[in-house]
Amino acid sequence: MKYTIIGLAISVLGFTACNSNVDNKSADKQDMSQHEMKDMNMHDSSSENPAIKASESININSIITYYLQMKNAFTKDNDKEAATAGNEMVKAFAAFNKTSLSADQAKIYNDIEDDAKEHAEHIGMNAGNIKHQREHFEMLSKDMADLIKTFGNGGQTLYKDFCPMYNGGKGGYWISETKEIRNPYLGKAMPTCGTVKQEMK
Amino acid sequence: MSRIKKISLAAGIILIAIQFIQPAQNKTGQVLPTDFAKVYAVPATVQSILQNACYDCHSNNTNYPWYANVQPVAWVMANHISNGIAKLNFSNFGSNTSRKQISKLKEISNQIKDGEMPITSYKLMHKSARLSQNEKTLLMNWLQSTADSLSAEN
Repeated sequence: MKYTIIGLAISVLGFTACNSNVDNKSADKQDMSQHEMKDMNMHDSSSENPAIKASESININSIITYYLQMKNAFTKDNDKEAATAGNEMVKAFAAFNKTSLSADQAKIYNDIEDDAKEHAEHIGMNAGNIKHQREHFEMLSKDMADLIKTFGNGGQTLYKDFCPMYNGGKGGYWISETKEIRNPYLGKAMPTCGTVKQEMK
Repeated sequence: MSRIKKISLAAGIILIAIQFIQPAQNKTGQVLPTDFAKVYAVPATVQSILQNACYDCHSNNTNYPWYANVQPVAWVMANHISNGIAKLNFSNFGSNTSRKQISKLKEISNQIKDGEMPITSYKLMHKSARLSQNEKTLLMNWLQSTADSLSAEN
């Protein structure tokens, strides 16, 4: 009896090629997103355009706050706090009020948010893997620098710092609220490695 | 019939029945204008590594092994592929903003450097996905320099 069933099961395996090939939906989206991409590239050097300078009503403070919280967690090698800050940052991006943005500002904001949110999400999901979190933090820091360049520092003086040793000597930037160096990439191993490259006023 | 016979009969029937429920396969056969190989000048050596080690889960065209038709393997596979595509799809890489393309290029390189990708279960079944140190270095160098030149442009 058992053998009959097993034999039957095996023979059926041979007849199961009822797979349907469904076209991938992503093809539909191509045209649109390509145009968007071109637009974005045109506006990358935003800060030179006075019309795009930050106005009083635009406030990226909460995004900056969670970024700095995350940065400070990394200086202490604290992956869990960094993850918490990452999750809060995702919410801060979602809560950001875009209605006061001009069309050009919205384009810049959306371009940065699209990328930065993904990094924040990854950092939020990867407590326990601080190496991976820091890889995303490096890319997130680039986005934050661009965001601050366009929308201002939220009223506090910020510093763009550089650690030449991170990533096998390629180096990595970060943004800090203190002039004194506290390295988020090497953490407690080399807390004071790095230099201030720019004061972001 | 004994208990054991009844259970194995039920299990056999279920196993046969699920063979008729097959998920759709990830195969479009077409190359989009936003395909990775069309957006960048990818050297043949790099392209062949990507093709062999990455494209099964990160493109619109999976090269299915024979056991992809056996359930429940097909479901597990379909799940892996849809997760993979959601994070990175070489078939429409160019539809990302240039900011995101730079991030993705760097992340691919990081994942290879950290040994996170290709995933172990995939490497078990695909010999060509087990990259040598030379292949890894070649791939990472190209990814990094492409990311750097894109960053310099913007």
